[in-house]
Amino acid sequence: MPMLFRLALRNIFRNRRRSLITFLVLVFGATALILFGGYKEISFEGIRESTIRDSVGHLQIYRHGFLDSESQRPLQYGLENVEKIRALIESDPRVEMTSAQISLMGLVSNGEKSEAFMATAVEPRKDKNMASQVIKQGTYLSDKEPDGVILGEVLAKSMNVKPGDSLTLMTTSVGQSLNAMDVRILGIFTTGVKEYDERAIKIPLVTAQRLMHTNKVERLLVLLRRTEDTAAVKRDLSAKLAAGHWNIEMRDWEQLATFYHQVVALYNAIFGFLGWVVFAIVILSVGNTVMMSILERTREIGTMLAVGTCRSRVWIMFVMEGMLVGAIGGALGLAFGSGLTTLINHVNIQMPPPPGYTEGYLLRIALSPSLLMNAFEVSLITATLAAIIPSIRGSRLNIVRALAHN
Amino acid sequence: MTDTTTLVRLEGIYKDYALGKVSTPALQDVNLAIERGEFTTLTGPSGSGKTSLLNLIGCIDKPTNGTIRIDGRDVTSEPLHKLSGLRARTLGFIFQTFNLLPVLDAFENVEYPLLFSGLSKRQRQLTVSAWLDRVGLTSHAHHRPDQLSGGQRQRVAIARAMVTQPLLILADEPTASLDSRTADGILDLLADLNATTSATFLFATHDPRVMERAHRRVEIRDGRIELDRLVVRENRRYSHANAF
Repeated sequence: MPMLFRLALRNIFRNRRRSLITFLVLVFGATALILFGGYKEISFEGIRESTIRDSVGHLQIYRHGFLDSESQRPLQYGLENVEKIRALIESDPRVEMTSAQISLMGLVSNGEKSEAFMATAVEPRKDKNMASQVIKQGTYLSDKEPDGVILGEVLAKSMNVKPGDSLTLMTTSVGQSLNAMDVRILGIFTTGVKEYDERAIKIPLVTAQRLMHTNKVERLLVLLRRTEDTAAVKRDLSAKLAAGHWNIEMRDWEQLATFYHQVVALYNAIFGFLGWVVFAIVILSVGNTVMMSILERTREIGTMLAVGTCRSRVWIMFVMEGMLVGAIGGALGLAFGSGLTTLINHVNIQMPPPPGYTEGYLLRIALSPSLLMNAFEVSLITATLAAIIPSIRGSRLNIVRALAHN
Repeated sequence: MTDTTTLVRLEGIYKDYALGKVSTPALQDVNLAIERGEFTTLTGPSGSGKTSLLNLIGCIDKPTNGTIRIDGRDVTSEPLHKLSGLRARTLGFIFQTFNLLPVLDAFENVEYPLLFSGLSKRQRQLTVSAWLDRVGLTSHAHHRPDQLSGGQRQRVAIARAMVTQPLLILADEPTASLDSRTADGILDLLADLNATTSATFLFATHDPRVMERAHRRVEIRDGRIELDRLVVRENRRYSHANAF
């Protein structure tokens, strides 16, 4: 076997130009896998963490019936005694914090113009840690200014208002009567999503409760220190809540992050297709290399068979050549792909805003050992597979005809 | 019939080649017995069937009809791929164009057939070194074929053919690619090997110098044996019992 290995290795470097082209194809393939895979990984992680930290939390706690029943009036299925639930949840050291929220809709008016709004009522101090919005003008919500609100940039432009101006919010209370309240604009924010910024308002939770005549909250967001603990915390918390006969239900971020799952599905489809393209290019290239090599070495194969080499050894030798081409090309691809990834991360390439967003972002590509290993394995396996069929052909050559081959 | 002196026995051998829809006979009713230790030449004009006969005896081709026994084993009843072990252990090939593996050096080329012999690495190294010494190429052991002259390459090929101590050495025009001085050197080496080892030599050749060294000349014409003649030489004694 060492001799067959030596033969295979030396034969690879026999036709240097052809081997170089094959290695370049493998380097291209491995680099593409590293770059695409790294981009995908960092995008998934970024979207997952921003979805959790900025929006849905790791877990959301509701009163039982909130998710499946149709509310007849606002906060019909709101959580009461939220402080007791909160204390129970926050006793777990894996929990970073909890944040109570209410969603409400209504009309906002500046005295001249009214617009529909969708508000999220939050606890300012806690929400500040997890908010995804960027304050463009003014300041963020403050516990000290319960009448202060912040507006989405597009809505503020539409209403022609600025920080310091007053607005009137009108919505339905839990008793189903209309109620209105004057508020002061503390700041203008953007989330990067135009459609959201057209309707978005954030108000302090206490203000929303006053406006809606209630002390209930709609949901309690639970943020963990580590996303990986989600399933375990959910399991433990469910057990605790069940033991305490709390009438509540729970969702985790995987059930809530619809956008994240859509992005994952889309990226997987795109990168899966690219992966198949790379696979096809490598298969054709390495297959062609082995086929050409067999054609050029027909007489050698005839000699090997004539002097007593069994056909399976000839087959193994050519498959080994494919495998070695894959291993060398894959290793070169890892070196080049890693270098290129580092370079891209170093030069800070600014990407245009994705569809539906108003802000661009810096291109970042993850470089993890699992990705590198994956790219190497794909090179190795693909090149080995590509060599199998030509190798079968080579090992089955007619010895007499092979010896007479010029 | 099995006997201890006959190494190769051909009975009623026919070989046809298909050229499109036409079948061309290459060998017709060839009967031949080669005794152990013989140095036999197959002669005849181009296309007479020498190489076809050599290929059949070398177990790299199958006859259309007839039986071939090598060392008592009927090789015509088995598919070629099952005869690789026999080719590795019992036969040695010397080709006109040397057919060395270009990516291996002289030592590795000679070592190659031993890979299938079960010998340890140390045993292989000793055997190969001894054969390289025998063919006068110790100093060229680590030269690749493209760094060797034609004569040196053929010496490597001879060492490769002999290294497994085969019963039968088959050579197809072993001197045709060499100049006459080099060819003489190679023929002296082959004659010496025939005289000092138990191997049987069967060469297809046009070269009168090869024929001069042979103990037996078999002439083929149009696929049939025309002449089978023993040449008694002083320096070699062997028994010849052609059954036909």
